[in-house]
Amino acid sequence: MGGMHGFGPIPREDNEPIFHEPWEGRVLGLMMTTAAHLKGNIDNTRSDSEMLPAKKYLSLAYYERWFVRMERVCQEKGLVDAEDLEALWAGQDIASAPEAEAVTPHDIRTMLANGRNYVRHLNTPALFSVGDIVCAKNINPKGHTRLPRYARGKTGEIIAEHGGQIFPDTNATFSGEGPERLYTVRFRASELWGPDANPADTVCVDLWEPYLEASKTS
Amino acid sequence: MPHDSHDHTDPPSDLALRVKALETALTRKGYVDPEAIDAVVDTFETKVGPRNGAAVVAKAWTDPAFKQRLLDDASAACAELGFSGQQGEQLKAVENTDAVHNMVVCTLCSCYPWPVLGLPPSWYKSHAYRSRAVIEPRAVLQEFGVDIPEDKEVRVWDSTAELRYLVLPARPDGTDDLSEDALAELVSRDSMIGTGVAQA
Amino acid sequence: MTNSVHDMGGMQGFGVIDREENEPVFHAEWQRKTFGMMMTSLGPFQVNLDHVRSRMESVPPSTYLELGYYDKWLLTLEELAIDKNVISKEDLAALMAGQDVSLTRDTDPFPAEGMLAFLATGATAARQIETPAAFKVGDTVKAKNLNPKGHTRLPRYVRGHMGLVIADAGGQIYPDTNATFSGEGPERLYTVQFHATELWGNDANPKDTVCVDLWEPYLEAAS
Repeated sequence: MGGMHGFGPIPREDNEPIFHEPWEGRVLGLMMTTAAHLKGNIDNTRSDSEMLPAKKYLSLAYYERWFVRMERVCQEKGLVDAEDLEALWAGQDIASAPEAEAVTPHDIRTMLANGRNYVRHLNTPALFSVGDIVCAKNINPKGHTRLPRYARGKTGEIIAEHGGQIFPDTNATFSGEGPERLYTVRFRASELWGPDANPADTVCVDLWEPYLEASKTS
Repeated sequence: MPHDSHDHTDPPSDLALRVKALETALTRKGYVDPEAIDAVVDTFETKVGPRNGAAVVAKAWTDPAFKQRLLDDASAACAELGFSGQQGEQLKAVENTDAVHNMVVCTLCSCYPWPVLGLPPSWYKSHAYRSRAVIEPRAVLQEFGVDIPEDKEVRVWDSTAELRYLVLPARPDGTDDLSEDALAELVSRDSMIGTGVAQA
Repeated sequence: MTNSVHDMGGMQGFGVIDREENEPVFHAEWQRKTFGMMMTSLGPFQVNLDHVRSRMESVPPSTYLELGYYDKWLLTLEELAIDKNVISKEDLAALMAGQDVSLTRDTDPFPAEGMLAFLATGATAARQIETPAAFKVGDTVKAKNLNPKGHTRLPRYVRGHMGLVIADAGGQIYPDTNATFSGEGPERLYTVQFHATELWGNDANPKDTVCVDLWEPYLEAAS
């Protein structure tokens, strides 16, 4: 969505609650606690959500998008079946014996406290270093990518290097973590949006090495 | 997926009511004449459509001088056959050759050469066609059953201005003894948008 | 509204193209009427096509995607009728509810014959301009990286890209100003041919091209 117009003012809510409805909290909890059984990863989850038809993507609220994905994936992975869900919607009970060991409250607290590590050691030398002028490639893959459209083809300066990190483009399809070096690239707003942008303004984007090429015009 | 409660549009009855209310208001206040509305609708339902374009293409296939006039100034050439008017004031004919296959889209809205093709079909106005035609024209063509060799150019025309494009498809082989009328029968609407080819 | 969702060229995720065999020109009576009303009321509303396009693309993106094609036309007509003080929102709602409202005649409509004549002749957007052309056929040009908030016909997917001028269509009404009634401000229109690889990267077929009609203010000399 970066750079799109037409979405109007940013709606803000005073004293906004963490969850607006109890079901939203349940969805977050379900997501976190079923992750191990669903054998997904964060990139695959993001990729899945982006694959929603655009109309649906825009019409669903945030936790709704999470939920429709959860509901589908739980069925795809055989955790629940459609008949059971329909019975439950109808207020009926279902006979079901435990098929797996659930994540315990203690486990999930530990997982939340520890977080995950996306950093991976790389032996290959860095193609770029801080201060280099680089160009974001004009690539338009059909699959998942974290290279925003608005940065493609644009020239920026590397301002940080973060070592090897799991590469979302392959990780999303379970084709391997394929770690690649991650850089923070600073683009001038005028480079991204044209001469009407404030020349003092910049946008910094975290971009993996395969998204970048040496600038032709530096 | 259950409960598509957000994937809604208003039921048709609502739309019918809204249209009736607006037409009533505009008519009673003197802005529109209901007969003029009917005349417009009738024009595009019964008079103007892709048969016009097919006649233009068939004539271009059989009359080299006309074909040249069509490629030079399509509006004037189409007017010779009586086809002119709104959304066709500046027609451009683009010719399919052995080297180039042309295809027309309007990524920003639904621009289309009305006097020769009538109103566009729903698929031409669909989000899928508008988004995909410029980035993956070959995949779109394949969906439409058209295979273009890798080494032939697919040239997509995005109608951003008030120029309106008509594809002049290639004349099918083995049609030398067909009359202009018979040839026109071979010219499909899609072949003049470029998502089809004329077939004998 | 420039970078809204109507600017769809190159977007992904809209799926396959749905086609209907022997599709009728209109799918419902209300669509017939909506189309006919749009064509007959542009004159009385004193609006131009660029303004109508600008309005249609200014609906929120989710609405834009959700509404059917003629639904957007109807919404635009209703908004125009209200904005032009032809009818109040309340009166329109009352009419919808089947109530009668008192409406006085403001003007005389364009008759059916006149409408048919207008359909058959059209109204060209070509305008004579005296200024010399900045570019000529064969020039390599670059589409500017412009992101105006208002209406434009410079699609996002060509911005910043280089192409070849293949035709000069002369002066044409400039949509960016015409849409806001700030004048027809005619500018020279060129057809610019872009390589698919320039627009979409090296995965595109190197043979393929996209031709886009672009006004002179959208272009700069390739540096």
